[in-house]
Amino acid sequence: MTTAAGPPAEPLLDLVRESVIVEGPDGRIRWWNSASESLYGWRLEDVVGRRSGELFDARDAAEPGLMQARVQGEAWRSTADGRRRLVDFIRVVRSDRAGNPVDVVETGRDVTDSRRAEDALRKNEHRYRNLFQAMAACFWELDFSTVGEMLYRAKKSGAVADFPSYFAEHPGFVRELMRATRVVDVNDQTVSIFGRGDKAELLTSVEPFWPEASTAVYAASVVAAISDRQNYAAETRLRTIDGREFPVLFTACFPPDTMNRGTLLVGVIDLSEQVAARAAVARMQSDLAHAARVSMLGELAASIAHEVNQPLAAIAANGAAGLRWLARDEPDLHEVHALTLRIVSDARRAADIISRLRAMASGQAAERTAVSLRDVAEDAALFLEHELQRRDVRLTVTMPQRLPLVSADRIQLQQVIVNLAMNAIQALAGAHGDDKNLILACAATSDGVAFKVEDSGPGIPPDHLPRLFDSFFTTKPGGMGMGLAIARSIVESFGGSISAENRADGGARFVFTLPRLDRG
Amino acid sequence: MEGKLVNDGVRIAVVDDDESFRIALEGFVRSLGHTALSFASGEVFMGSADAGRFACIISDIQMPGMSGIEMKQRLARKGIDTPVIMVTARTEPFLRDQALAAGAVCVIRKPFDPQDLIDCLDGALRG
Repeated sequence: MTTAAGPPAEPLLDLVRESVIVEGPDGRIRWWNSASESLYGWRLEDVVGRRSGELFDARDAAEPGLMQARVQGEAWRSTADGRRRLVDFIRVVRSDRAGNPVDVVETGRDVTDSRRAEDALRKNEHRYRNLFQAMAACFWELDFSTVGEMLYRAKKSGAVADFPSYFAEHPGFVRELMRATRVVDVNDQTVSIFGRGDKAELLTSVEPFWPEASTAVYAASVVAAISDRQNYAAETRLRTIDGREFPVLFTACFPPDTMNRGTLLVGVIDLSEQVAARAAVARMQSDLAHAARVSMLGELAASIAHEVNQPLAAIAANGAAGLRWLARDEPDLHEVHALTLRIVSDARRAADIISRLRAMASGQAAERTAVSLRDVAEDAALFLEHELQRRDVRLTVTMPQRLPLVSADRIQLQQVIVNLAMNAIQALAGAHGDDKNLILACAATSDGVAFKVEDSGPGIPPDHLPRLFDSFFTTKPGGMGMGLAIARSIVESFGGSISAENRADGGARFVFTLPRLDRG
Repeated sequence: MEGKLVNDGVRIAVVDDDESFRIALEGFVRSLGHTALSFASGEVFMGSADAGRFACIISDIQMPGMSGIEMKQRLARKGIDTPVIMVTARTEPFLRDQALAAGAVCVIRKPFDPQDLIDCLDGALRG
């Protein structure tokens, strides 16, 4: 189509994607192409003769007559639907031979969307950079392209069956990988924690920051990187540039697009405070446990004194009797012999009580060795033999030939078993003859051993069951209620647990479990 | 050296839950020339047919189940007035008062001074 004053329309220009506008020197539109229609929304016939400046409501309208020969710029322009679009344009003034402007030709592109995308990207970059810099964690950007090559060559040489084993067998190679990993960038926190204030110092290989003992963690992170994992994290120890070691949480992430460029992102969190806090808590718990034991002792002293008193009183009575037997015209040596044996036995009983007291007072750590509960049960049975005979209690021991070993203090375990057995024997005191049964049984469980002490006595009153293992809970007048509480604390200190229940056919059953040796 | 024996060869009961002490006390009483029978608890003593047939009873106060004091009270309710000597490892004065109030002829400490027990027995057996 043609217009009265405009140039003939160029069909070619209607194929062009850029908007092409022809104006007169007065700024009035003579012609524009279909791309201009698409961009601005008006049809050609609606805009012919109108000033583009007014139409677009642009802030940059070039003044006719003062136009430069060529102008390039960007402007926000109104469109027919009332929106504003950002247009990147070039305007060229065409003049005749005399220098008089003939017309102005403008080509333009709508860059609104791509500008928005650029801005968003820039903002993201900016935000990422801010985060990177400002984060309380230490961030490292690493170049591991050389590492990739080294791994490739190693694999090709046929020396590597699988990398985890290869790394484990060749720590020297892993250190080489570290030397080939270069630090491209670090954030402020990294400079602060690892460096001395100069970022450039840290832009070396990562090797100086990895203590020998931490090599395996680096190796594992490499394995993770080449195994298509998204990320890797582990607690380990790293080194500052001064060589000071400290505990950290080391994390690495492997986003595919950065990996393809040979870049790795590492975050390191300083765990010094946490590790110190953990150690302080452990120390405090140990101190508290000791203090609790010591304060219990004040109360225990009364009970222990009572316990020690019995053998002492027996020794005194036996001694007094001995003197009287010997003072007779015919000394009764048979009696003296019998009571002397009793004196020796009672003295040993008193000594045992004292040494138990001493061990508790000093907070002596239990001596953990590999223990077979079969042996401990046999020792306990020997210890109890005397009492069993006296009280006419029948003992049955059920134990498999082979039992898993546990890690525990043999003496303490024996204490627990004897304690439980003595309770059972006392419970059987009221029963008669054949019905006085004590059973010691041990069996392997899925992850350790279970030891049972059962009796055919009256059982435990149900309302006592929940409090049975509490400190100071006792049913014996004058009893201190420590036996079961101590038993529980001993068993739990070896990773086990203890419980009590009544048997279906009458009597009580105490069970304690312990983990097998290799599970600790 | 020791107090003279007023009665010879009487039957004396010893009641105490602690086995070592019970046997020792029984032996000591025998060394004085008496016959001694021992019982592991107040219940067992009360349940025996001989409860009323001793010249004297020596009993621990603090026992699981029936205490020595309770046992004395039950004996009294049954009309059995055998003299009872009470023995205790505890030092609280109120315990001593309680025992005496229940009718014990004396209260001796554990470990006991042999002469104290001999004097007590003399007193008890003399009535």
